[in-house]
Amino acid sequence: MAKHRGRGISTIEYPTGMNQNGDPSQAWIKVKPDGRVDVFAGTVDIGQGSKTVHTQIVADTIGVPYDWVTMDNSNTDSSPVCTGTFASRGTFIGGNAVRFAADQVKGRILEIAAKELEAAADDLEIDNGLVSVSGAPERNISVSDVAAAATWGHGELLTGTGAALKPYAPVDPETGQVDIVPHSAISYAACVADVDVDDETGEVTVLRLIQAYDVGRAINPTLVEGQIEGGAMMGLGLGLLESSYPYYPDVEHRGSQFGTYLAPGIEDLPEIESVILENPSADGPFGAKAIGEMANNAQPGAIANAVYDAIGVWVTEAPLTPERILRALEQKNAGQHEPRRDGKRVVFDEEISINAVGDRDSALSFQAG
Amino acid sequence: MKSVGARLPRYDGLGHVVGQTMFVDDYRVPDGNLWARALRSPSHSARIVRLDTRKAAELPGVHAIVTHRDVPKNVYGHLEALGVPADEPLLAEDEVRYKGQPIAVVAADSEAAAQAAVEAMELELEEREPLFDIRKSFDPDAPQIHHWGNWYPYFGGPDEGPDRRKVRKGDIDKAFADADTIVQGVYRPGAIEHCPTETQVSLVVPEASGRLVIHSCTQAMYFSMGVVAAHLDLPLNKLKFVGGTVGGGFGGKVDSAAETLSALLALKTEQAVKWRWTRDEEFLASSTRAPWHIEIADAVTSDGWILGRKTLTLHDSGAYARFSPYGLTKHAFHHSGAYTIPNIHFDGYVVFSNRVPTTAMRGFGVTSVSFAVETHMTRIATVLGIDPYELRLKNANRLGDTTPNGVRLPDPSTVATIQAVAGAAGVELAPEYAAMTSEPRSGPLLPPHLEAQQQNGSSPNG
Repeated sequence: MAKHRGRGISTIEYPTGMNQNGDPSQAWIKVKPDGRVDVFAGTVDIGQGSKTVHTQIVADTIGVPYDWVTMDNSNTDSSPVCTGTFASRGTFIGGNAVRFAADQVKGRILEIAAKELEAAADDLEIDNGLVSVSGAPERNISVSDVAAAATWGHGELLTGTGAALKPYAPVDPETGQVDIVPHSAISYAACVADVDVDDETGEVTVLRLIQAYDVGRAINPTLVEGQIEGGAMMGLGLGLLESSYPYYPDVEHRGSQFGTYLAPGIEDLPEIESVILENPSADGPFGAKAIGEMANNAQPGAIANAVYDAIGVWVTEAPLTPERILRALEQKNAGQHEPRRDGKRVVFDEEISINAVGDRDSALSFQAG
Repeated sequence: MKSVGARLPRYDGLGHVVGQTMFVDDYRVPDGNLWARALRSPSHSARIVRLDTRKAAELPGVHAIVTHRDVPKNVYGHLEALGVPADEPLLAEDEVRYKGQPIAVVAADSEAAAQAAVEAMELELEEREPLFDIRKSFDPDAPQIHHWGNWYPYFGGPDEGPDRRKVRKGDIDKAFADADTIVQGVYRPGAIEHCPTETQVSLVVPEASGRLVIHSCTQAMYFSMGVVAAHLDLPLNKLKFVGGTVGGGFGGKVDSAAETLSALLALKTEQAVKWRWTRDEEFLASSTRAPWHIEIADAVTSDGWILGRKTLTLHDSGAYARFSPYGLTKHAFHHSGAYTIPNIHFDGYVVFSNRVPTTAMRGFGVTSVSFAVETHMTRIATVLGIDPYELRLKNANRLGDTTPNGVRLPDPSTVATIQAVAGAAGVELAPEYAAMTSEPRSGPLLPPHLEAQQQNGSSPNG
């Protein structure tokens, strides 16, 4: 009876935006008479921080301080279409919508500033709320003064709109092949899990998760780390603890309260080490890809591999509960955990295959070459 | 100062931590609101013989009861625009297909009065044999549990096409014939709950003009507004969604759970109606992440090349289709994982069962296959006696490689992410693997079995 240490690796990829596209996000922006910026977009912030990220994108695209920008995503009267906060699309697609709108606003600011400075708009740049002539920074005007001039002098509204949409990508039903790329950027990640497995209780403790994510560009590294660490806990729940149907496919024994459903708690938190890589996308805002959903995809496989490394059993039904671990150990000790070898075939898990369960006249089976 | 790349605090963080942020249940209507509760199916599968709500309607404080007859368009599919036909009634009609399925909703002066009305509704059911094991759904004597059959039949569109998502790439028979070893395994990641702190909740306030203001916890205001508009046959100018702030979603607040029936009750009573699901309802009657059944056979060489992959996936959709055909297609498109596999044969089925309909959850469609593929990869490494990092790096996606559906990759980072975790974990890679990059294949990294694939594929930007 002992604890066994194990290590497993897992490597994943995940797409940005709705599969097959066709999912618009739109935004519009207006500028107040003192240059402060109001952004209207329908992107729901589900806690991941999209309001923060969109504000950062708008601030840098126009060239004004972050705290000049207000985000309103509160209702469908003032905000244009956003398909929704899912499919890891908020930073990329929602972010592109506000970026496109901000680009238009910047153009409008430069038009008015060009009149005020008697310079060509193409020669102007904006940084930190100040418009200046390239190469002659002493010729400048603040964005606040530009906005005032537009409002009270030129009788104009500084505004911009943006719409991000990739065309729907039809799929050949016979081959699954596509002619149009059916996603936005793809993000990548790898995860190493270190675990202890108790061969008496079957309990698995995750000691450490080491994870690297290529997010294209981290618009806000703190929020990226929040996704990585929060996602790691969800992945740990998926891999070890959580189950709507503990005896799936049976529907009995469902937990209906937090006291009877085993979600990860703070006591399950392992040491988490996060590495952010920035391999930029061609068309995301500032090179961003996505991070949201993929953050809970890598851990379950890494944990299953670490369990094998620790005690030499494969558990391929998740979560890897103590009961499943102990049953697998029992199988192993009885000499029944080895795969069947047949010529060049190495066959694991035969007893849970569709070929073994149900009627032999089933309309479906798995024929592996 | 540049803000992109800066560690700025959450825009809404302070409001959250000092308790100022308004979530749906925090909103109060000056004249108060009615409260909704639902009669839900106590059975996994049954014919509705009789539903009598007359006694319930006469109880004190009860203002309205609605059943499927009151819904202008009771059957509407969330993905009709994408060619997924509708199959799920908003309120059950002549049968129930899962425990917890809503049959009628009531609006009353208090939650207690609404609950009393629910308990006074007379429901007579004729039980049927339910089906829970999707591996048995294809058996000749399996109970027939869905009017389309036991699995979703419309992968070519609403009228035609195959009854499964198919992906075919390269020459799978040659890959299996050429293989030194075939490694086969079965992977079954289970259902889990979204566990939002905020349960499903909606507050609908009718305005004097006839518009409905819908306070919603949806993750997708325009999407949910479209769902309400379709069920109630209303133009979008009659609806105003108020939201944008959610107390936990994770994919579980894309299906429109409470808005439509609250809106219908508000229209019928001309009063504000709030419907907040109990924790029991959130766990038992709201959707879950789907359970999956994934069988993989990989054709591999002794030195660790993956020549081909054959996959059978069953996606447990629960009682109705919802987003499952979408999720399965995404699963199919990403089932080679972070690796290049030139020969692919994938069949995936959306299979119905008498459990709560499953839905989107963080990583929809891909979480399952990441678990399966990554466990399978290490198994292959073990069978072949190869280092699991090296097996992954060898087959890692590189510039110019293509996905299962033929898309050429413009910016893969499989190599870089593996090297990064290996470095941080103190794993020493052999020199040729430590020096590897994502540059296009050449030399020993472009074996004959990958040559044809490098010639085909879509351009990265369509």
